Amino acid sequence: MAAVLRLMIPTNESIEPDDRELVRTIRNGDASAFEQLVRRKTSKVYSLCCRIIGNTEDAKDVAQLAFIKLWENLGKYDPAYAFDTWLYRIVTNVAIDFMRNKQSRENAVNSNLRLVRTSTDPEQGVVIQRKEIENVFQAVSTVLSPKQKTIFVMREMDDLPSAEIARILGCRESTVRNHLFNARKMMQQQLKKRFPEYSRLWKEQP
Amino acid sequence: MISCQAFRENLRPGTTDAAVLEHLRKCDACLDWAVRIDPDNFYRAIGGEEMVPPGGIDAFTEGVMTQVHLRQAEAPAIRRFLIPPRRLAAAAAVTAIIGVAALMLDRGPKPRAPVHTPAAAAVQPVALTTKPVVETYQSKNATIVEMPSEGPHDPKVVMIFDDSLPADL
Repeated sequence: MAAVLRLMIPTNESIEPDDRELVRTIRNGDASAFEQLVRRKTSKVYSLCCRIIGNTEDAKDVAQLAFIKLWENLGKYDPAYAFDTWLYRIVTNVAIDFMRNKQSRENAVNSNLRLVRTSTDPEQGVVIQRKEIENVFQAVSTVLSPKQKTIFVMREMDDLPSAEIARILGCRESTVRNHLFNARKMMQQQLKKRFPEYSRLWKEQP
Repeated sequence: MISCQAFRENLRPGTTDAAVLEHLRKCDACLDWAVRIDPDNFYRAIGGEEMVPPGGIDAFTEGVMTQVHLRQAEAPAIRRFLIPPRRLAAAAAVTAIIGVAALMLDRGPKPRAPVHTPAAAAVQPVALTTKPVVETYQSKNATIVEMPSEGPHDPKVVMIFDDSLPADL
């Protein structure tokens, strides 16, 4: 009896429509359903933009633009595919375009950061601080192409498997793995050059 | 969150285990240890966390919805000025037909200024027609006139005048 009662009690999962259902409602002309979708996906989309762009204000603009693109292209969504894959495709396209347009300016900013950081004594011991890793990442990742950086972020920080990244970007899984390999190699070289105190951490392992 | 011991036992290169990654991203001592054994863990440490845009999710959503409503309001106005593709195609077809017709008329016969041409060129060519062949002919009212020939190679011409024969023979 208890089991039966428990089944009859509505849970949050049963009340909340899934992404595909929301899209169907939006397509039928319900803009409030789109608001619900935006609320649901904001953190995911903004976090991805933030890591790719490396600047909270620009990331916010890019995330908003991505949601507007989502609204404009909602009619093209094929429910046979996962909604998040399609959403990520829109977000990464907008973010990569933004990065390509602003890359030269970012490089200039990061070259100043390098001058500040190289004053640190590499002989001193270092305690890894997560906030510091974010800064290091944004500094050394300037050597990556927008696509390489996007792939690296999705794989290492959003924990997406290579196959999923390939689906999002519309390329082969081997291409994703190649980009990842090259990105790691380039960032390792940059880290050694610009932040030797960090690269020392794993160089000294027995 | 799993214990440090469980984390260190379960950490594998490129792991996607949510519990292991959660520990990596929250425990400073284990992060230090993990980075020493695999440098890839250095950047993985800053992942996972879901960030909130400046001003909060409500303000962000409001901003997106304002843009959406603006575009919704603009869309019908734009549609009034934009011609749907089918209408555009029909209009293009009609324009093309009118254009071709105008071009054809333009190339048609035009009144020309009188030009002095040689008399031979001015003669209109006569349309040739096939006439029935008459093999035998008998008549009492016919008048036969034989044209005089100028030599043995000159063709012999005979003219027959008969009112009972058809006019176009």
